[in-house]
Amino acid sequence: MTVRTRYFVIVSLLVVGVGLGTGLMAYYVGFPTSAFLVTGGPEELRYLPSTSTVVAYADVREVMASELRQRLRESFATSAQENGQREFQELTGINIETDIDRVVASLETSGSPTTNRMGTGVVLARGRFDEVKIEGLMREHGAHVDVYKGKRLITAETPKPPTPPDSQSQIPAVPPIPQTPPTFSLTFVETGLVAVGTTALVQHVVDLHTGGGASAATNEGLMERVKAVGTGNNVWAVGRFDVLRAQANLPEAVAERLPPITWFAVSGRINGGIEALLSAEARDEVSANNLRDVVRGFLALAKLQTSAKPEYQRFVDSLQLSGTGKTVALSVDVPAQVFDALRAAMPKPPPGKE
Amino acid sequence: MSARPTLFSSALRVFDFSLGQMLWSRRSVFLGLLVGAPIVLAVVVRIFAIAGWLPIVNGSQVGGPALFGVLMWLLFVRFVVPVLGVFYGTSLMADEVDDKTITYLFTRPVPRASVLLGKYLAYLACVVLLLLPSIIIIFFLVVPIGGSIGQAFPQLAADLGMVAVGVAAYGAVFAFVGAWLKRPLIVGLVFAFGWEQTVLLIPGYLKRLTVAYYLQALVPHAMPQDSALSMLLGMFQDLPSVWVSLVCLAAIIAAALWLGGRAVENREYVLEQ
Repeated sequence: MTVRTRYFVIVSLLVVGVGLGTGLMAYYVGFPTSAFLVTGGPEELRYLPSTSTVVAYADVREVMASELRQRLRESFATSAQENGQREFQELTGINIETDIDRVVASLETSGSPTTNRMGTGVVLARGRFDEVKIEGLMREHGAHVDVYKGKRLITAETPKPPTPPDSQSQIPAVPPIPQTPPTFSLTFVETGLVAVGTTALVQHVVDLHTGGGASAATNEGLMERVKAVGTGNNVWAVGRFDVLRAQANLPEAVAERLPPITWFAVSGRINGGIEALLSAEARDEVSANNLRDVVRGFLALAKLQTSAKPEYQRFVDSLQLSGTGKTVALSVDVPAQVFDALRAAMPKPPPGKE
Repeated sequence: MSARPTLFSSALRVFDFSLGQMLWSRRSVFLGLLVGAPIVLAVVVRIFAIAGWLPIVNGSQVGGPALFGVLMWLLFVRFVVPVLGVFYGTSLMADEVDDKTITYLFTRPVPRASVLLGKYLAYLACVVLLLLPSIIIIFFLVVPIGGSIGQAFPQLAADLGMVAVGVAAYGAVFAFVGAWLKRPLIVGLVFAFGWEQTVLLIPGYLKRLTVAYYLQALVPHAMPQDSALSMLLGMFQDLPSVWVSLVCLAAIIAAALWLGGRAVENREYVLEQ
């Protein structure tokens, strides 16, 4: 074998070795560079359907550790809130405060407009989970386990909302429409990533995780807006307002009065206070100008109403209307003092009830 | 008097000098083009992805893993691997005949079949050493477009294995054709792009007489499902299991090499003056 042949073989084997080694490392430990995609947004967007109508994100860890959260906890902590968290922990074994790092959620408006059903959703939570305990707890509550593409899918019937006791006497009896009871599922997509939601969507998450394909991360329109709101914010939501409106089955009179918004985005940074931005993309520039006029009118009214209430005035003063072209944006900066003022304004509980 | 070298040790000697010959021959320019073109295509795709010019399908951008699957299936499995098998496999013996150098090999005190076996091993090393790095480079260029390298890695590993097995199977079949027939290239092209492509579309057992039938069963996920041809294929698809495919491909390789070796041992090569 000549020298150049030997060099060729070495270089070729080196490329194969480095490639396979890198791939293997990425397969087992992932690339620790960032939890966010190159195209913007958290990596979990790869597992959400490309047809998502609304996508939302929350950095739970950052929000829970924020100064504002601590203040609110001291000021407004109620036994009901704590009980709710405890119940959720007892049901699923997940402590929201300590176990979850971040959540990414998706809402799909797949429901028919005639059924007034808003659609289905799935939540992906990344954190530290006791898989055995969660499965055990869910099974205790009537869930069963199926295996889907190698993942254990813990499925339960969606709890029905309580019916008011006298509602049956007022509404005439309508024969029930036979339908498959809705189910929700939970599965551990990978270590530290749990998917909870409608069974079909959770299965779709597993499909995307195992086989890839078109996902929210490949939806160009969605990702463009996610990229715009994702930087520096620890909570955000992006969605199609027109699709939501079409699915909401609103009365015609109400639907006609709603502004012709196509996309909406809400983003915020929660730390000492809340800095938030609500932006909407109107169908055209004329609609955007009309919407700006309406918001401007509401802002003037709010300023008038709060002129005598200094504790709210700072909040109203922070509302800023902006946006050009088809975009209308409303920003708000709520400092911690506003929450202090709210606490002071709240009626004190009677002695012995604290 | 020393003992006659064994088939395998003789094949290794032939492999040693044939690898260099094969790598730095004019045919390697063709191989370089076949291997380099997909890399250029992947670079273009990556640039398009960065610039946001990738096509939108059903409101979503095409994902990197899906693109890689399509590239692997349409470009490598259906084209590059059979083409390399035909051009390299059929020329293993034919080149020596055309260059009138086969006499020098046959006058050595080695089994004649070791010439074919050594050249086949050199072909395998040459093609695999060029193809696999090319696929890995394409993988790292294309998959990060909306995909995860870690998640797609099993697909890469399976695809690399499939390509290596495919190169070995097609190479063995065409090495036999090259050793047996006088004008093997035409027969090779008709087999790879006529017989195999047609028979795969026809329901029945005929498809079992192709290499592609067993090869596509190794990585069925890479086959795109959105074309009319794929739908047609899907209707008649009865893919064997991975293990059956591997056993059949190993049998094809062994049988083709044995028959090729027999042909080289028994055939009288007439050098045109």
